[in-house]
Amino acid sequence: MVMSIDIEKLNFEYQSKTPFAHRALTDVSLQISDGSYTAIIGHTGSGKSTLLQHLNGLLRPTSGQLTVAGNLITPETKNKELNELRRHVGFVFQFPEAQLFEETVLKDIAFAPKNFGKSEEESEQIARKMAELVGLPSEVLERSPFELSGGQMRRVAIAGVLAMEPEILILDEPTAGLDPKGRLEMMQMFARLHKQQHLTIILVTHQMNDVADYADHVIVMEAGQVIADSTPAEVFSHPDWLAQHHLGLPQTTAFAAKLKDAGVKLDPVPLTDQALAQQLAGLLAKNGGGQHG
Amino acid sequence: MDKMLLGRYINGDSLIHRMDPRAKLFLSFYFIVIVFLCNNWQTYTLMVAIVLLCVKLSEISLGFFIKGVRPLIWLILFTVLLQIFFSTGGDPYWQWGPFTVTDAGIINGVFVFCRFVLIIFMSTLLTLTTTPLEISDGLESLLKPLLALKVPVYEIALMLSIALRFVPTLMDETTKIMNAQRARGVNFGEGGLIKQIKAVIPLLIPLFVSSFNRAEDLATAMEARGYHGGAGRTKYRKQEWKTKDTLGVVMFLLVTLALVLLRK
Repeated sequence: MVMSIDIEKLNFEYQSKTPFAHRALTDVSLQISDGSYTAIIGHTGSGKSTLLQHLNGLLRPTSGQLTVAGNLITPETKNKELNELRRHVGFVFQFPEAQLFEETVLKDIAFAPKNFGKSEEESEQIARKMAELVGLPSEVLERSPFELSGGQMRRVAIAGVLAMEPEILILDEPTAGLDPKGRLEMMQMFARLHKQQHLTIILVTHQMNDVADYADHVIVMEAGQVIADSTPAEVFSHPDWLAQHHLGLPQTTAFAAKLKDAGVKLDPVPLTDQALAQQLAGLLAKNGGGQHG
Repeated sequence: MDKMLLGRYINGDSLIHRMDPRAKLFLSFYFIVIVFLCNNWQTYTLMVAIVLLCVKLSEISLGFFIKGVRPLIWLILFTVLLQIFFSTGGDPYWQWGPFTVTDAGIINGVFVFCRFVLIIFMSTLLTLTTTPLEISDGLESLLKPLLALKVPVYEIALMLSIALRFVPTLMDETTKIMNAQRARGVNFGEGGLIKQIKAVIPLLIPLFVSSFNRAEDLATAMEARGYHGGAGRTKYRKQEWKTKDTLGVVMFLLVTLALVLLRK
């Protein structure tokens, strides 16, 4: 089955046809290919979250259409037809710990697979597997989710989404409010899922470092429109353009840009510490190890 | 929920927007009372004229108000039909068992309809032109006399303003949790009654839990900022009673007088 996403001329207006109507997305056209890791960046209120909610049919376009995992969504699509789509698309909302409600952690994780027709035993099996995957100790499984720490609640919520075994995973700022260690662990877990299970990942984030480290496709949004659709290397090689649109650079790239201003030739733009270190090592070797460029 | 207009505020700078909230609150209640004085064509025409004048002064399009009536239209029509079919007296046009349609019944039905619409228009006008905070401030100061009866007016006003402040936040939270649960395969508003009630649990429990957490955080934050009850506090938002507020009250008194004179 093809799990790619194809968006054509999508427009969306909140509270359409009322005096409070306001436009959130204008003529958005995009392709997200199967198994890619796409990052969507942009200023607060640029329409990122609205766009995400179209991808699993929580919102339907006011005009235009999109195809997600072989399901066509048009303004006329009925709610019933969207259920089939939703099982393919896992959606981790901002602060997903707010969605927990069951008596035990295990039941909460097993909630989604049960909704999508898995038997009780199967769901529980999947839940145990997912709890392990997100790094939850097995002794918390029988406890109430409300007794856990914030970080653990986040893990339970994410496990609950992964338990649907989606092919497309949407992450809306999954690490907001976590400590540095928790953030790194979580981002590495998503990267692992992407590599091992070929999950298509769509990540909305304000952390440019994460974009540079993990994504292979970047979409930049502003005022409901797509203003750039490219690779991280391409987008981050224009620091002035980014600054104009109120976006920053990843730390490494920002540092590389300073070196470049000082006359060090770096090409292509290094996105990660390792890439920068390698390029610098190469330059040092060429220059005989002594001087700076 | 998008269609609910009652209880929304529309930003503006009209004469009505700038009136003192106490005057607006008082006059809206007063209006609802004097609507019941109406009992003939002349009095209803006068009231309709007053309402249309107020709508005009608020610089908000009449369409908004008509939309505000829409959610209640079935209740209104039901009451009107009861009036028409069960009124006795007057010339009967049509009769069948306990049902009679008389000219008096029809007139009564029309009056009931007018009364409903007038009251809804006036209360919509109040909420469209007054921010929730102004309403709760206004209520606090109108309720002050009740302090003598040991009614905890400050506490009621505080609860009211916190409640009003958190309505949109809780609405956002509801939408968010609903979406999150939908993404996990819950179908809201589908299937039989039992199934629909069951679908609400994954929405209600998180909402309650987050309200408890929010209340705890808010109480801590309030204490940390030195809140220790209503007594001895000063006010940041001062309410000013201006000439136009007095004029409003005078106008309504004149209207009352006219109503009493025009009544049969």
